[in-house]
Amino acid sequence: MKTNASKTLKATAAAVAMAVSAMAAHAAAAPSELKIGTLYASSGPFAVASQGQYEGLKFWAAAINKSGGAFVKAYHKKIPVKIVAYDDQSSTSTATTLYNQLISQDKVDVLVADFGSVLTSVAVPLAAEHHMLLIDPTGSGANFFTKKTDYLADVSIPSSTVWPVPLANYLLQQKIKRVAIIYGANDFDASQAGTLKDVLGKGGVTPVYYHGVPTTESNYTVLLHTIAATKPDAVLEFGYAPNDIAFLRSLAQSGLHFNMTFSIFPGQLIDLMTKNVGAKGLAYTYTYPTPPLVKYAKVSYGMNTADFVKAFNAAEHKQPNFLDSAGYNTGLIVQHMLDTAPKFTQLDFHQALMDISGKTTTLLGPFKINENGAQLGQPFPVAQIVPEGSGTKFVVVYPQDKATGKAVYPAPKQ
Amino acid sequence: MELLEYAIVGGILYGVFFSLVGIGLNLIFGVMRIINLAHGQFIVLGGYVAWLVSRHFGFNPLWSIPLSVAGAIVVGWPLYAAVVPRLQRSDDPEMLSFILFFGIGQMIEALTGMAFGADQRSLPSEALGSGNIGVLGQQFPDSWWIAAAVSVSCILALYGYFSHTRLGYATRAIMADRDEALATGISVDRVSAIAFVAGLALAGIAGMFVPYLLGSVSPDLGGELTTTSFAIVIIGSLGNPLGTVIGGLVFGLGTMLMQTYYSSWSNVVPYALLLIIVLIRPSGLLGKEARHA
Amino acid sequence: MPDDSLLHKLRPGALVLALLAAGFLLLPHMYGNQSLLFTLMTFIVLTQGLNLLYGFTGYLPFGYVGFFGCGAYATSLLVLHAHLPVLACVAGGGLAAVLMALVLGPLLRLSGAYFSIASLAASQILYFVVSNTNLADITGGPYGLKIERVFAPDASYLAMLAVLLLTSGLAAYFRSSRFGMELRAMKQDPTSAAMAGIDVVRERLIVWLVSALVAGLAGGVYAWNLSVFYPDAVFTLQISVFAIVFALFGGVGTVIGPIVGAAVLYTLYSAIGISSPQYFQLIYGALIVLLVLFLPGGILSLFTRRGIRVF
Repeated sequence: MKTNASKTLKATAAAVAMAVSAMAAHAAAAPSELKIGTLYASSGPFAVASQGQYEGLKFWAAAINKSGGAFVKAYHKKIPVKIVAYDDQSSTSTATTLYNQLISQDKVDVLVADFGSVLTSVAVPLAAEHHMLLIDPTGSGANFFTKKTDYLADVSIPSSTVWPVPLANYLLQQKIKRVAIIYGANDFDASQAGTLKDVLGKGGVTPVYYHGVPTTESNYTVLLHTIAATKPDAVLEFGYAPNDIAFLRSLAQSGLHFNMTFSIFPGQLIDLMTKNVGAKGLAYTYTYPTPPLVKYAKVSYGMNTADFVKAFNAAEHKQPNFLDSAGYNTGLIVQHMLDTAPKFTQLDFHQALMDISGKTTTLLGPFKINENGAQLGQPFPVAQIVPEGSGTKFVVVYPQDKATGKAVYPAPKQ
Repeated sequence: MELLEYAIVGGILYGVFFSLVGIGLNLIFGVMRIINLAHGQFIVLGGYVAWLVSRHFGFNPLWSIPLSVAGAIVVGWPLYAAVVPRLQRSDDPEMLSFILFFGIGQMIEALTGMAFGADQRSLPSEALGSGNIGVLGQQFPDSWWIAAAVSVSCILALYGYFSHTRLGYATRAIMADRDEALATGISVDRVSAIAFVAGLALAGIAGMFVPYLLGSVSPDLGGELTTTSFAIVIIGSLGNPLGTVIGGLVFGLGTMLMQTYYSSWSNVVPYALLLIIVLIRPSGLLGKEARHA
Repeated sequence: MPDDSLLHKLRPGALVLALLAAGFLLLPHMYGNQSLLFTLMTFIVLTQGLNLLYGFTGYLPFGYVGFFGCGAYATSLLVLHAHLPVLACVAGGGLAAVLMALVLGPLLRLSGAYFSIASLAASQILYFVVSNTNLADITGGPYGLKIERVFAPDASYLAMLAVLLLTSGLAAYFRSSRFGMELRAMKQDPTSAAMAGIDVVRERLIVWLVSALVAGLAGGVYAWNLSVFYPDAVFTLQISVFAIVFALFGGVGTVIGPIVGAAVLYTLYSAIGISSPQYFQLIYGALIVLLVLFLPGGILSLFTRRGIRVF
């Protein structure tokens, strides 16, 4: 007993001594700037989305630096933020080298992943290997979040395992039985399609068509005819923005008509979609409406959605899209993490995120992560794009408490 | 059954268009024994010309056809003079041209990337008619029909050139036997230069329809178009421009049937066809001479 | 005396190997991004492996990356299913590439550009098969493979160095042995070489297999180092293209040409190519054109022209 107690005492003393010296060392070594490392894609299938996210993050950094920097609790002072960013051109192998560069050469304090599941996936094992917390803005692939980890946190988008649930419930509620699902064969779209299929299956609906296509698919003309041959009521297409554009264009030209058509990116990048597909091609399409289309007025941290839109507009002279908002939100969460973490270590950063989880609401909605790093908050409703004048508007149709109108179903032939 | 009809009609339209895609590559090879590995990149350039014409200046993209021809003359003539005679004097023009034009292709890809960015670009679908035309109850977008019609016109024009003009006779003479043509006093250099320019012009015209048939155009599409063209040309037999039509139809029907019934395997079609043909019948479906090393 | 001449023959090769080993063992201490150095080694291996085939037989495989991808996938699948030591899995990757080369052996019947384009088609088919969604249960399909439980940057770095030394040793052997001389005779004139009693078909096939082995081993170690990868990361034609450009630039048919070519151009790539890829693409496109027109022997031929012997 005695020896045990004294051992414990000794150990505690040693630990305290170490902690004190560590704190002293830290206090002495407070960095002159906070290095936030990230990647963006100037080209390739993820370029538009990635650049939006990156601009949002830069907008946050510029705003916080104007106020003297981010408050770091570990040092009790504000420290200016510096973003170190490289261009991975949407290539995972380039991204691997560059994530390595950020970790080993630039020795960044905070590591932020590029847009989307594909470019995030290569960073996940790297971050774990180097004991870095990976701040994952928009990588929602289900297979990232299969075990408990201290080194991964999805901060700005719901995990793919919860994301399509409202859509599935809506289909079940509307009693739409013949559902065709076509998805891009990548972590993001395949997880979406898989989750949707599962939830529909529990409701007794088996898709009449369920098929993956390469992420690079740019012509859906023939596929659409194969889908039409299964006589579906609803055709749900899960892709990245270029897929969604190609799908909706092919549909508009094909002479085919479905009662319901769904696609993801009209709700995130409406300007890009309208430019490429046209208002007519988008009419009556369903999508996930995202902030800033959906607005959160009451927030506990940072600007609310409407204020963000105004501020972003004033600074960048354009309307923010969802990915700008997601990038900005990522900055906000990092900021909150830094002003919460008592010590300047990656593990404390992660603990800080766990601490603010469930108690924080930002412009994207409630922030809630689980121990695997998956985002369970920030839910997306279902909306339909309906013509208005020469343009279009979004009508949220599900869930009931967020609905702004009723869906036009079946979609009228044009 | 309905799907089969759809695939066949679609395959013919698609195949006719791809004959146009491949024919320029074959013309240049037939006349000069030069492999234009930048062929796909020239097609992409044609696509961007159409994009500029319609999105930037607001004209109908069909206006890019004369522009592509003009562009082919402006670019093709000096390019021909700079590299082709030099290559033909070397000991292995086929292989050296292969590498050299690969380099040119990379340069074009880089320049289009710098000028237009790496994103996929599409053309307004209304420009070529927003409706669709049905045959055997199968609906296809207007743009597919226009692409097929333009392709047929180009191929007929080429056929007319070969069979009804003096330059065309000379071209065929050179294709049959270069040395003999030289000996009979044909101005090989001039005829070759015309064929070179015509090859690029045909690539440029095909490029205009790429955004419609393939969905979009982007700088990195060139390599894939080159290999597909190569497959089509080899199926029809290298050096025989009209055989390319057969190659195009085989490719078009094969692709459409695969897309309809085994869509996830359709991207293998051109490569598998190419491999099978070169191994089983290296001279192509219409060729006579064997090409074993 | 024969010993002496053997020693004389071996010396340049040994010197190259020693310099490479020393260089890549010391560099990580001076430059922290080991991943970049690793990729540099990978490209030297691939450039050298391509040189073994192109430089010594004249066959230019545009689909060379197919063997690399084949090695990467075979290695990873062995790691996932066979529970062998990683190095054994890498060896299996090399072997898989050799088997693939045997299957593709008939391509060697084709000449010049036909061979190049057919090998490209073969590598693309391999890529489409591996990345097909229908095979996702076996190959991981488009979702790639994850072998992060064997992730070991340092060990895989050393393994790639070993592959690099092996490849350079092979090139040195090709350069200085009787076998290599026969190859060069074949390249210049296959008919008279055959008449002189050289088994042209057999020797060509051996080089093809060796060159595939090297790429397969490199692919295996590369997969081990990445540990999470998508099919396009190991099958992208960019890899073939880089190997070809680097080899042409340095000078094919030599030992140090490909090393110099890969080292110089990959360094240039990491300096400007990563941030502005189009500029790099423009530069190497122009380089190819200029090399073909004015310097078919690569930059090393600048020395040979002045009478300096290049190993």
